[in-house]
Amino acid sequence: MTSKDRILTVEVTDTDGSTFSLREICERGNCHAEFVIKLVDYGVIAPLDEVPEMRQWQFDVAALSRLQKALRLQRDLKLNLPGLAMSLELLDEVQDMRREVDRLNQRIRQLMGE
Amino acid sequence: MDFKDYYAVLGVSESATPEEIKKAYRKLARKYHPDVSKEADASDRFKDVGEAYEVLKDPEKRAEYDQLRKYGTRDDGSFQPPPGWQSASGFGGGGYTEADARQFSDFFEEIFGGGRRGGFGGGGFRQSMRMRGEDVHARLALFLEEAFNGCEKQVSFTVHEPDDQGRLIPRQKTLKVKIPAGMREGQHIRLKGQGAPGIGGGEPGDLFIEVELAPHPHFSIEGRDVLVTVPISPWEAALGATVTVPTVSGKVNVKVPKGATSGRKLRLKGKGFPGKHPGDQIVVLQVAMPEQHTAEAEALYEKLAELEKGFNPRSKLHV
Repeated sequence: MTSKDRILTVEVTDTDGSTFSLREICERGNCHAEFVIKLVDYGVIAPLDEVPEMRQWQFDVAALSRLQKALRLQRDLKLNLPGLAMSLELLDEVQDMRREVDRLNQRIRQLMGE
Repeated sequence: MDFKDYYAVLGVSESATPEEIKKAYRKLARKYHPDVSKEADASDRFKDVGEAYEVLKDPEKRAEYDQLRKYGTRDDGSFQPPPGWQSASGFGGGGYTEADARQFSDFFEEIFGGGRRGGFGGGGFRQSMRMRGEDVHARLALFLEEAFNGCEKQVSFTVHEPDDQGRLIPRQKTLKVKIPAGMREGQHIRLKGQGAPGIGGGEPGDLFIEVELAPHPHFSIEGRDVLVTVPISPWEAALGATVTVPTVSGKVNVKVPKGATSGRKLRLKGKGFPGKHPGDQIVVLQVAMPEQHTAEAEALYEKLAELEKGFNPRSKLHV
């Protein structure tokens, strides 16, 4: 079989419609529920509706992706929870600023007629 | 095979103490962590740093490496381990980095036997278990028009699949994905079952694709709205006019109100990102001057200056 044969065409049916329960997000992140609960306590990730009953929590893909990022940072850089929360917040801020700088540079180029 | 100088990778000398090695590793791991760094080669650098530390932190492995460094390198810089070479220390994973040996280089594999020989991290414990395949997260950059109208894109990513012996082998997978219209920056697409295959009959993981938008020369995006700056002439601004403006889906005619100023925004309802709640296009007007005027035009401007001398455009600056 050539590599070309392996290309599969798939149609997207699920855009941002995915949510995961606490159990599912733990399975996908390969981590304990306690860790996810602590991340929610520290405000690192948030369920879609912050209901007191944890079994009803639902997380979106962005939360899953953030959980996995938190797990990688914790594993690779040995960060504790407060350090993790602060690092993720600062990384978000840096990312927002980079996007804003890109956006403003683009606006400047547009205004200069470049 | 090229020789990997782990000391150079960590930026330490051959005589560095374990403390110096740990310090150098920690600093470089923070610098090149793929979740932190935006450098294009951060991921490779991070892997190199992890691999170097995996060897140099362990006195046994370090001693073996030092020996090979002395006798295994050839004059042309290439590397061949001495005949019959077998590592006494091997690779067990774990330790400070909890390193994933699947990521390590062929050079590491050649010397220490690497983790690819086992099922996972050298252990192989997964083989007897039923486990769901790993989810894979990928990013996909789209041009604005592609995101707006929907498109078909090829996405390549790496998954770790077990071979006949249950060893996890990285494999490049390519999918052609039909992207629906109206995808915005940061949105995720989930492709069920397209991640890594399950182990022991477990279901496959999913592929999550995060959409990124490439900058557009004319349009910029704010949420669901599309912004475009449209230059107008001073007379169009003063008298009002119907001008043609571009939208992502084609040209439209827009009525510029009389007395429009630079920065004035006009909203084109529903001309932003398509979707259940479509966005708008915001046209930002910008008064543009011709680079040169004819003598006749200059005379008209002089007349205008005389007629409008009561107008002070700098009144807000109190000058």
